Amino acid sequence: MKPIRRMSRKKIIKVVLFIVGGGVVAALLVGTYLFNKPHRNVQEAAIDFTVSSNALVDEYLGNPSAANKKYLNEEGNSKIIAVTGEVSSKTVDLKNQQVILLKSTGAKAGVSCTFMASTNKVAESLTVGQQVTIKGVIRSGASYDPDLGFYEDVIIEKCDVLK
Amino acid sequence: MKKLIYLIFVPAVFFVLAAFRPIAGKLVSKNAHISFFSHTTLEDITANNYKAMSTLETTTGNVAFVVPMQSFEFEKALMQEHFNSKKFLDTKAFPKAKFTGKITNLNAVDFTKDGSYEATVQGELTIKDTTKPIQGTATITIKGNALTGQTKLKLVLADYGITFKKGKPSTNLAKEIEVTVLAEYHPE
Repeated sequence: MKPIRRMSRKKIIKVVLFIVGGGVVAALLVGTYLFNKPHRNVQEAAIDFTVSSNALVDEYLGNPSAANKKYLNEEGNSKIIAVTGEVSSKTVDLKNQQVILLKSTGAKAGVSCTFMASTNKVAESLTVGQQVTIKGVIRSGASYDPDLGFYEDVIIEKCDVLK
Repeated sequence: MKKLIYLIFVPAVFFVLAAFRPIAGKLVSKNAHISFFSHTTLEDITANNYKAMSTLETTTGNVAFVVPMQSFEFEKALMQEHFNSKKFLDTKAFPKAKFTGKITNLNAVDFTKDGSYEATVQGELTIKDTTKPIQGTATITIKGNALTGQTKLKLVLADYGITFKKGKPSTNLAKEIEVTVLAEYHPE
């Protein structure tokens, strides 16, 4: 009896070691994946809201906390929106990204849309006055800031023109 | 005759002043760059934000910055998520950080002349719901109709209620981080 018991104990230890070892390897793999997981691809992700630039600005000016609750995500993966509006200005930021401001004449604020290296060319082809729909991720809302002395625009980034 | 001189002379003066109008009044920067850097022996962490807004009033020396917090981008997606989460900056509840202050040695900056000037800036910085006094020096560079402001400062995270006793952040994140600001201003 004894040798058999010893055998089975050895076997149990082997099996346990195998399971624990496998678990550790799996945990390391999952950990490494999570640690290095890629950024969300905004342009490939589904659109959460489709809205006009004026409606989005009015939503923020009317009730900023409700708008933040609706559009912002706790981990920064905020809502992906498709905004339609009139191209009011074209600028370039310090990362050489094209910035298109969608704003109607007479509106208090607009939606500032920052493109990226892969989509800058699309923004360059837009002309002031043109009606366009732009998809991007929302970063912050419109509000009047007394210290800046102007209305901040809604900011969306990782933009591309929606065809 | 006197009238005629006025008629010619006054518009001429205005014309000359307008042509050589120095950069003055309220200046605006809508796409300022703010980055921060954290160094520990275990890890270096950098984040960049190109969406800060700022104003600089040359007559009063008033300076303001508004920073949309979710625009900070990290190399690693997980770090960006941690940065935004409730444990760190809680950007859903506090989407914007803000600095308001003043250039205290306005005499040292000649806004009418091209050149580089050292400005002392003093004010208050609000991150999350904590406001603290802060001061530093900024380099103001004037070239033609463009003004650039640049500064580097240190922030102690604990001052703004960002502390960690356990886990990776307590070992891999510096207690004091370096913040770099670059803003290009244009007349409003």
